Amino acid sequence: MTTIEPEDSKSNDFSSTDEISLLIIILDTNPGQIILRDNPHTLTQCVDSVIAFANSHLMQKSQNKLAVMACHSKSSEFVFPSSQKPLDVRQIDGQYEIFTLVEKTIKANLTKLIAAESTVLCNESLLAGAISMALCYIHRIQKTKPVGCKLNSRILVVTGSGDSAFQYMSYMNVFFTAQKQNVVIDVCALDQHLSLLQQGCDITNGLYLKIPQLQGLLQYLLWVFLPEPPIRLKLVLPPPVKVDYRAACFCHREMVDVGYVCSVCLSIFCKFSPICTTCHTVFKMPGPLAVKSKKKKMKL
Amino acid sequence: MADNGISSSNQVNNSVLIQPTNLECKNLYDYLTTRPQNVLEKLYNRPTICLAVYRELPELARQYVIRILFVEQPVPQAVVASWGHQAFSKEHMYVSKVLSNLYVWQEASIPGGLQGWILSATFKRNLKIALLGGGKPWSMSSALDPDNKARDVAFLDGYSAERWECVLHYMVGSQQQEGISADAVRIFDGSPVITRQGFQFLLLDRQAQVWHFVLQYLDTVEQRGLDLAECLTFLFQLSFSTLGKDYSTEGMSPRLLIFLQHLREFGLVYQRKRKAGRFYPTRLALNITSSQNKGIQVLEEDVPKGYIVVETNYRVYAYTDSNLQVALLGLFTDLLYRFPDVVVALRGGITAEQIIGYLTQHAHLQMLQSETGSALPPTVVDQIKLWELERNRLVYSDGVLYSQFLSQADFNVLREYAQSSGYLIWSNKEKRTMVVNKSGHDDVKKFWKRYSKGN
Repeated sequence: MTTIEPEDSKSNDFSSTDEISLLIIILDTNPGQIILRDNPHTLTQCVDSVIAFANSHLMQKSQNKLAVMACHSKSSEFVFPSSQKPLDVRQIDGQYEIFTLVEKTIKANLTKLIAAESTVLCNESLLAGAISMALCYIHRIQKTKPVGCKLNSRILVVTGSGDSAFQYMSYMNVFFTAQKQNVVIDVCALDQHLSLLQQGCDITNGLYLKIPQLQGLLQYLLWVFLPEPPIRLKLVLPPPVKVDYRAACFCHREMVDVGYVCSVCLSIFCKFSPICTTCHTVFKMPGPLAVKSKKKKMKL
Repeated sequence: MADNGISSSNQVNNSVLIQPTNLECKNLYDYLTTRPQNVLEKLYNRPTICLAVYRELPELARQYVIRILFVEQPVPQAVVASWGHQAFSKEHMYVSKVLSNLYVWQEASIPGGLQGWILSATFKRNLKIALLGGGKPWSMSSALDPDNKARDVAFLDGYSAERWECVLHYMVGSQQQEGISADAVRIFDGSPVITRQGFQFLLLDRQAQVWHFVLQYLDTVEQRGLDLAECLTFLFQLSFSTLGKDYSTEGMSPRLLIFLQHLREFGLVYQRKRKAGRFYPTRLALNITSSQNKGIQVLEEDVPKGYIVVETNYRVYAYTDSNLQVALLGLFTDLLYRFPDVVVALRGGITAEQIIGYLTQHAHLQMLQSETGSALPPTVVDQIKLWELERNRLVYSDGVLYSQFLSQADFNVLREYAQSSGYLIWSNKEKRTMVVNKSGHDDVKKFWKRYSKGN
C-alpha cells in the first residue's frame, strides 16, 4: 500500500480553497456581433463551449455554484438558474443529471430569448448592465447564505462585440463596485480587443484573454478561466499585457490620451468647455497661457 | 527483568500501546489506492465513479486532468511540469503521484524518447460521458409516472435524521432502540464501530459518520455475495442524485435491491414500501465522499440545528432533549445540572481536537453569529488544547527491562542490536539498563543467548 500524505502546509492550502465558489458567466448573444453576422453558426459553437465550461466548473466541487446570463443589445437575462419552475429532467444518457439540467435550461431559455429578439440589429451589447445585474445577484446570494460559510464569486464575460466608450461611466462604476465586493471579473474576448474591459480585469485582479482562434474556445476557457483565483497563483497563465488606461471623454465618448478635467467633479472632456456638463461649474475662458495649466494628463 | 518501561518523549515513534487507537477514517482516495489496478479499471467503466474520483482529486490534479481531457496524444511530462510555477514543484510531484496511484494517468513514451503522461482511456471516456453526455443512462434513472404521494425535502430530512439517530442509539446501546432489524444488526456485528472506537465515531460529523459506516459496509460486501463494483456504482449514483426527486428501481438486480434495503434501513434512501418501485435519496446519501469538507454547508440547505452554547468560563449549555446527545457531552464534560431542556456542564477533558470539532459542529445558531469568526470562544479552544498537551506529556508503552549487565561491552552489543532492529525504547549507559518493546523481547533474548554462547 502506498501512502503519500501532503505536508501540513499543503493540506492547509487545500482546505483554504474549500469554500463555495460562485461563477457567473455572461455570454454576449447579441446577433449584431460581427462574428455572428458573418457566420450565425458561431453562436451554437460558443453556447456549446460555454455550457461544457460551465459544467466543468460544477464538476470541480459539489458545492460550486453557477449562474449564466445572456446579454443582448437591449436587455440582459438570466438563463440559468431559470426564473420559472425548474425543468423536470430525467437522465437520457450517461451525463450527470445536474449537467443535463444546466444544458437543457440554458438552451431552452436562449431559444426563447432569441425568438423574441427584434430584427433590427444593433452591434452594441449592454455588458456593463449585465455585469451590474450579476453583482446584484452575487449580493443576494451573499445575503441569503447560511452563517459561517464563505462565498467566493467571480464573473466571466464572453463577448465578441467591441466595448464602446458610451458605457464608460457604467463600466467604471461596476468595476469599482466589484473590486469593493471582492468579485473577480474575467474577460474572454472572442473578436476584438477590449480596452475598457481589460481595465476592469486589472482593477479586480481578473484575467483578460483575447483568444487567437475561435475553434479552440472551450480549451482556452478550460485552461485559463477554470482555475479559481487561489489556484491561479500556482499555475503559469498568460502573462498580463500592458493595460491601456485611457479614459473616455464625457462629451463625445471618445478615448482620449490627454484631455480636460473639471476641477470640481473630475469629469473628462476632450475639448475645453466653459460650463461643466456634469456639475454645471462655470469656468473662465482661458487665456493663451492658462491653457497649459488646465491641461492635465489623464492617468487614473 | 522487570516488565514495564517508560519511554522518554523523544521516542514517541515506538509502539504506543495504552493510548487509545485512533479511529481510522479513510477518504475515497485512501480507499481506492488500496484496491488493485484491475478493480480500479473496472470501476472506471462507470461515469459516476469517474466523476466521484475526479472530485476527490487535489485541486491542481483536477486542473491537469481537465487540461488533457480533450488531448488524444500523450503530453510530455516536461510540458505538464511547466504548467505550474517553480515554487510549487513539490505540489506538482505530489499530484502527479496521486494521479499515477489512482491509474488516472499513465506514463507513455512519445516518439523522440520523451516521457509523457496519457489519461487512462477508460477514465477519459467515462469522465467525458459524465460531463458532456453520451453512453447509457445510469441504472436508476428510467422514467417514472409522477408519484401520487410524493415526499418533499422536509419530510426526507426528518426521515433520514430519525433513521440515523436510531443507528447511533443502537451503537451506544441506549434504551431507545427500536426499528433496527435483525439484518442490520448482522452488519454491525464484527464492525469495530461498537467497540471503544465507537465513541470517537460518534464525535465525527454526520457526513464522515456515514462515509465511515459505508466503508465498513463495503468491506463486508463481498462476503455477503454482493458485487463491490455494482454497489459502489450505485452508491455514487445515489450521491449524485437530486434531493426530493424519486428514482426507479426498475432494472436493478436482486442483489442490488438487497443493498437498497440496507441503505433504506440506515436512512440513506426512503421507500414507502419494499416493493414500491421507486425510492427517494435523502441528504445522508448526497455527496457521500466529500467527508473532508467539514463544516461546509451547501447553500440553500438547512442544516440540523445546533444546540450547544460554550461560554468563556468553560461552561457548556446544551439545549436538547435527546439522551444520546447528553451522553455524548458527558464523555468529556461533567454534568452539573439537568433541566428539562437545558444541560449545564463544566468540562474536565478526556478527548482532544474531536471535542472542538464536535462543539463547533453543533454550536448553537447564536454562537455562529458572534463577530469573532469562529464559533467557539478562543480561550476555551486554547484551554482544551493545553489540557490535551498536558495529558499527552507521558506516552505509555509496554516493554521489558534489561539490567545488571556484567560488562559495558555486553551492554553495548545488546543495545546496538536492539536499536538496529528497532526494538529499543529507552537505554541508559551509566546504569547499564535498557528497555525493549514486548514484541522484540523474544528476538533480543535469542540474540543474547547466541551472543553469550559465542563468548
